[in-house]
Amino acid sequence: MKPLSLFRVERRPVPSGRVVLLVSILAILAALVVAGIFFQAYGVSAIRAYQLIVKGALGSKLGLAETVRRAIPLLLCGVGLTIAFRALFWNIGAEGQLLLGAVAAAGVALFSGLPDVLLLPAMFIAGFVAGAFWGLIPAWLKAKLGINDVITTLMMNYIAIYLVQWLIHGPWRGPTMRGFAYTDKFPSAATLPTISWTRIHWPTLLLGLALAVLAYLLIIRTRAGFEIRVVGENPDAARFAGISGFKTTLLVMLISGGLAGFAGVGEVAGIHWRLLSPTHISMNYGYTAIIVAWLARRNPLVVIITSLLFGVIMAGGDVIKVSLGLPFQLVNVFNGLILFFLIGSEILMRYKISFSLRRQ
Amino acid sequence: MGWETWIIATLSRTLAYGTPLLLGTLGEIYTERSGVLNLGVEGMMIMGAYAGFSTAYTTGSPWLGIMVAALVGGAFSLIHAFASITLKANQVVSGLALTMLGLGLSGVLGRSWGGKPLPVPISKITAPGLSKIPFLGPILFEGQNLIVYLSILLVVVMWYILYRTRIGITIRSVGENPATADSLGINVNRVRYLCVLVGGILAGVAGGYLSVAYRPAWTEGMTAGMGWIVIALTIFAFWNPAIGMLGAYLFAALYHLSFRLQPWVTPEFLKAMPYAFAIVVLIAVSRGTLQKRMGAPAALTLPYTRGEE
Amino acid sequence: MKTKVALIGVIALGLILGLGALTMAQEYVPGEPLKVGFVYVGPISDYGWTFAHDEARLICMDAFPWLETVYVESVPEGDEPLVIDKFIQEEGCDVVFTTSFGFIDGTVAAAQRYPDKIFFHCSGYLRNPNMATYMADFYQIYYLNGLMAGALTKSNKLGYVGAFPIPELKRHISAFAIGAREVNPDAEVHVRWINSWVDPVAAKEAAEALIADGCDVFAFTEDTAAVVHTAADRGLLSFGHYSPMYVFSPEYCVSGQIAHWEAIYLDFLEKIYSGKYTAHNLQNVDYWWLLQEKAVEMGADKGMIINPAYEDQLKGIYVDDPVLGNISVYDLVMMRLQQMADPGVTFDPFQGPLYDRKGTLRAPEGCMLSVSELTTMQWAAEGIVGPWSGEP
Repeated sequence: MKPLSLFRVERRPVPSGRVVLLVSILAILAALVVAGIFFQAYGVSAIRAYQLIVKGALGSKLGLAETVRRAIPLLLCGVGLTIAFRALFWNIGAEGQLLLGAVAAAGVALFSGLPDVLLLPAMFIAGFVAGAFWGLIPAWLKAKLGINDVITTLMMNYIAIYLVQWLIHGPWRGPTMRGFAYTDKFPSAATLPTISWTRIHWPTLLLGLALAVLAYLLIIRTRAGFEIRVVGENPDAARFAGISGFKTTLLVMLISGGLAGFAGVGEVAGIHWRLLSPTHISMNYGYTAIIVAWLARRNPLVVIITSLLFGVIMAGGDVIKVSLGLPFQLVNVFNGLILFFLIGSEILMRYKISFSLRRQ
Repeated sequence: MGWETWIIATLSRTLAYGTPLLLGTLGEIYTERSGVLNLGVEGMMIMGAYAGFSTAYTTGSPWLGIMVAALVGGAFSLIHAFASITLKANQVVSGLALTMLGLGLSGVLGRSWGGKPLPVPISKITAPGLSKIPFLGPILFEGQNLIVYLSILLVVVMWYILYRTRIGITIRSVGENPATADSLGINVNRVRYLCVLVGGILAGVAGGYLSVAYRPAWTEGMTAGMGWIVIALTIFAFWNPAIGMLGAYLFAALYHLSFRLQPWVTPEFLKAMPYAFAIVVLIAVSRGTLQKRMGAPAALTLPYTRGEE
Repeated sequence: MKTKVALIGVIALGLILGLGALTMAQEYVPGEPLKVGFVYVGPISDYGWTFAHDEARLICMDAFPWLETVYVESVPEGDEPLVIDKFIQEEGCDVVFTTSFGFIDGTVAAAQRYPDKIFFHCSGYLRNPNMATYMADFYQIYYLNGLMAGALTKSNKLGYVGAFPIPELKRHISAFAIGAREVNPDAEVHVRWINSWVDPVAAKEAAEALIADGCDVFAFTEDTAAVVHTAADRGLLSFGHYSPMYVFSPEYCVSGQIAHWEAIYLDFLEKIYSGKYTAHNLQNVDYWWLLQEKAVEMGADKGMIINPAYEDQLKGIYVDDPVLGNISVYDLVMMRLQQMADPGVTFDPFQGPLYDRKGTLRAPEGCMLSVSELTTMQWAAEGIVGPWSGEP
């Protein structure tokens, strides 16, 4: 007698959009519940905490502005990462590419001597090139020598951090900064306009939104995008079809690094107006963008939403710090939890459980 | 200052600062040799630092602190093991999440522990007779502690296990070719779990060492990126415990020298060295045959499922 | 119909804006309860800079029943505009204290954005009618510490672990060196920088590097007790920084510098409460408070000027002073302390003739350095050995 089985587990070929959405939301909710335990441990009702966060990050003018401001670099980096991830290039180096973009922008702003009207465009171009360069090094190493991309991009992050530190402590330390480790303030022609009293540097925001759309079109509608997808989904088929994995790898990192570079330009030209300590230029935007891109299932358009979501989380972190006196580090706990639940939930999506009474 | 005193001072500091690097690297070597990439070393280390300190502070026993640090590091690593081995999730993402979680959790929990002096730290050892041995004496036997010695012993043990025992062959085959290992009856996932656990325990001890022996005190974020250096060192070591020891001590020496030589050498240059070196090493072994002998385990970051190769 | 709607819309908008402007621009009325927001750059648990500011805040709360405060810790530089906005718009603060040089841009911008609110910027140099600056500086105490360090050193090498090569630290180290060489012309101050305000591991290794170079007495600027611990481990002496560090090493912590920000805070808040300081007359209000104003204190612990374990030793070391004659170091320290702490300050470490380590005259005979020269100091005093970024 064959045993009765109540349910079967089958592999699901490709999860539908609905399933993905549902599982993702469940993952986030699960993370919220677990994080809620921390709030309780601090004597704060979890519900009240989340209410405050939502109200603080979305319900007030200030909060909304902060949310958007945080979302801008996440958007740019995230879109770039979706492209890289599509080709299975694990770009953990967005943080470093962002910093290189910031360095290039600072260099142009302070030392290029260009006429005012050319400064900002030159800064953006320089930022793109610098970020792309930083990303192309690991790309070339992988494409040509087969060297692991996770490690190289990660190492490049640290080299970038020390580069910035060297610059602000040494050759680029601003003479007017009285010995403090900052560059001089950028000339005002080199600073980005912001929406009235907020800190939303809208040119970068518009750039990010436009690039999200363009990236989507690239992936879906162009030949290059097709090649990128094939390389990522079926490298053997790609080789068979004569698609150059070499060129594709370089292309995706040119884009991904360049976009992260844009984010760096935005931060120093829009928020800080000088080059400063690397940990103040980027609050782990490059790493958070990985989650942003992951959650968006590598769809550049969806990154617009996920980057906003993480903007809410970061702005929410500020809220809990200011209003509840809770440590900002809770944001890290939160991000870690969401990430774990997300990747844990992947398995739910890959397998389908069907209930039936059947003899096997 | 004569040459001799220079070298003695440098090597003495190298041992002190290099021990957490060494412990972390040994652990990550085993983890990666079995085919699992664990980028969560920083998170495990700092959790170990916090757990070690708080335990040592409240119980008055620093060794209990180290043990708890080991347990906490191990427990943390199991999260990553579960996610990447059983759930076959992406190892890169899982490791990053672990780091975030560790940094965040230790920052939240450790808030009120900052700045407190540890009443009973791990005692420094000065062996009366041995410390008189010229040259080696002052380096090895003056002012170091038991964990430093244990870590050196550990290098020998772990090297031996990896290269001269059946267990070592098992680990290495699981990392190079899990399908073959599986067909030989080896439980691939179990081996991987154990190796990840070893990595977690050692990372926890490394963190505990920092807060209970080295400093001894707790400060938020006190590992300051040591976990990432460990990841770089693992590569630099060609996944070999003996070279790992050389690498850990080399970088500890560079760190010390970045202060000692500050009047003459830009410190940022020396600090960026470990990371640049790791890339150089990877380039150096990328040539075909060298790759096979000294390169990364072939199955690194690839989850294994029977029948799905 | 359309025009009617438009008209109502305009009036409504005007009302809202006006009300908004009114609520935002409500200027503080003296004698009313006062709400102050504190923006901290680090965590209170640092036991250093931020801890001292928070202690001062608590003292003010105890002293003034009409005072209400809020604070936020660990605000990264660049993020202070957000916190300031929240303080003013959501918490209703009348006054905002920004406790780090790096908050300068945000504070200046906020001062311009909220002309009816008061801003108080620590260690800054830019002011506005509604923005004042303040600093409690240690240079006199470092000079006194230097006197003792110079007397107690056996190797004639003093070690200093510094955070950033900024004027504040440069004048502290120079004062330390001037004091040390006054009692011991052979003394040298060796400096190593860790380029961070809080990095105990780096501070420890920097101290170890200095120990390897032969230094046996230590002073430092870093927000933990790492250097005190490291020195004590080897039986070497140190001077605590910022907060009482005697507790970390009763055997080897000789003295130190302790901040009393409350001296400044109590004064400033009192003047706002009484109406003396308003949002319109702060353009020239710059607190540069020292021993005389009791904004800083020398000591290993509060009330412990010198660690009793070292008093006898210092009493037994004699030096020849051109003015005071043959005097024990202990007595010299006490005498100088009195000269600088009593009203009508009669001594300053930075009085001429003063040469920097390159031989340039920095203060001619009979002259003192002005506050502005002190706050922009880039040169190194004689006897300082080590990297000195930005040296003229």
